[in-house]
Amino acid sequence: MTKKIWIGLVISIIVALGGVAYQKFLRSPRCAFDGSAVPPIYEVDIVLRDRSVKKYCSIYCAVQWFKNNHQVIDHVVVVDEIRGKKIDSYMAYFVESELITNETNDNRIHVFQQRQDALTHAEKFHGTVIDDPFTMDE
Amino acid sequence: MIINIYTLIMLFVAFVSLFLGGFLFYAALRMLLYFASAMSLETKSKFEERGYLVFLLACMILSVRMLAWPWFYFMLQSFVPEVPGAMCMFGVTQILPSAVTFLQIIKPISFFIMGGWLLCYYVDKAAPTSPLARRNLCFLLVACGVLLADSIADISYVLRMKPLMSVSCCATFFDVPLRPSAMIPQAIFGIHFQKILFVLYYLINIILIALLFLLLSKKWLSFTAFSKKIVVYSMAIVGVVNIPVVIYTLIENIIPRLMQLPYHHCIYCFMGKGVVPDAPVMLGLFVIGTFAIGWMGILHMLCMNAETQPVTEHLLKKVNGLSAFCLLASLMMVTIHLIFT
Repeated sequence: MTKKIWIGLVISIIVALGGVAYQKFLRSPRCAFDGSAVPPIYEVDIVLRDRSVKKYCSIYCAVQWFKNNHQVIDHVVVVDEIRGKKIDSYMAYFVESELITNETNDNRIHVFQQRQDALTHAEKFHGTVIDDPFTMDE
Repeated sequence: MIINIYTLIMLFVAFVSLFLGGFLFYAALRMLLYFASAMSLETKSKFEERGYLVFLLACMILSVRMLAWPWFYFMLQSFVPEVPGAMCMFGVTQILPSAVTFLQIIKPISFFIMGGWLLCYYVDKAAPTSPLARRNLCFLLVACGVLLADSIADISYVLRMKPLMSVSCCATFFDVPLRPSAMIPQAIFGIHFQKILFVLYYLINIILIALLFLLLSKKWLSFTAFSKKIVVYSMAIVGVVNIPVVIYTLIENIIPRLMQLPYHHCIYCFMGKGVVPDAPVMLGLFVIGTFAIGWMGILHMLCMNAETQPVTEHLLKKVNGLSAFCLLASLMMVTIHLIFT
């Protein structure tokens, strides 16, 4: 092989390793279901039994993954849309309304820590309070 | 029409190549008709001198036009935030789907033909009497035809593109169990098609790279003409078979692993979202490596005569080296990602 080919191969290895390093250390969190960016206000974290965490961009994506993998899940953490505070899903109020949080998957489920916030949202955007979509059967 | 820097540059390049390509087509056709009666070597040389500007113009336009292919995907990516519901380029392709499909087919074809023409022109230019001038003119007519179709389609698409409808996410096409990228290999290889595809991907690529390096080695000179033919033809066949194998393996096996999204098979997300930042380099290397095999075939078919043989053989070695390098680099990059991601 000529010197040029060797140099080219070394460069391509460096580029590939750079890509791997970027993916591992620099990239901002992406939805573990569809790969889109995770907006902090709609973030859903699924904590697995091995304590690792999977992040999702919307309730829709998290539920899709949850449905097929509930046996490995420890608990689910959601974000209160009003204050941006992370809470366990069983403590949150979920409202399905006309307001879309993610146009890609048409997610209309909103999360609130306070019952009053949930009711206000439901009234304002013609929604209803729904059950926790992350309920696990014991 | 969506106005941004990508569409403006695309339109500018398309309009320039449409006008100059039209002129080039006319000039090449005229030269070719005149060429039919000009048989003597002196006249051919004189004619080549006259046609120098036409060929120079062709070189410039075709080189610029070749860049329109990657630029097209940059443009599609720039439309993603504008189209309601689009998560990646796939969503954009749902608007004017027939136009996008046509463009996605004609762009690689035009890239291949234009690259082939530029190589043939290089050979002809290196010979003192331009023995391939007539053949190059005929080839230029074909290249101009593709260039004109490509430019018109570009202009039509950019001007008609309006993000007025909501589109679906790529998961509705790429991640469903009945996706074509899974059904076709499953029909051929059965239920365990993913494993078979993965093995085939490495096997075929390694065979192809080995054959390409064999052509570059000194041992190649000791081969008989018959064995040389067998090797070259088998390389061409392996090269063609490699295209669907790589595409299906990428979609079914490699892309989900590299994106760390085990259920997501979208090639557009892989290319354009920056999840795997060097993905365009991997794909680009594979495309150039594969096209280079085809360009070697074009050089063999069109540029082999007594006068141009040394130049053609020298160029063939270079293109061969380029192909071997690109395919090997692409394979190595994919492997590094698979190991470390």
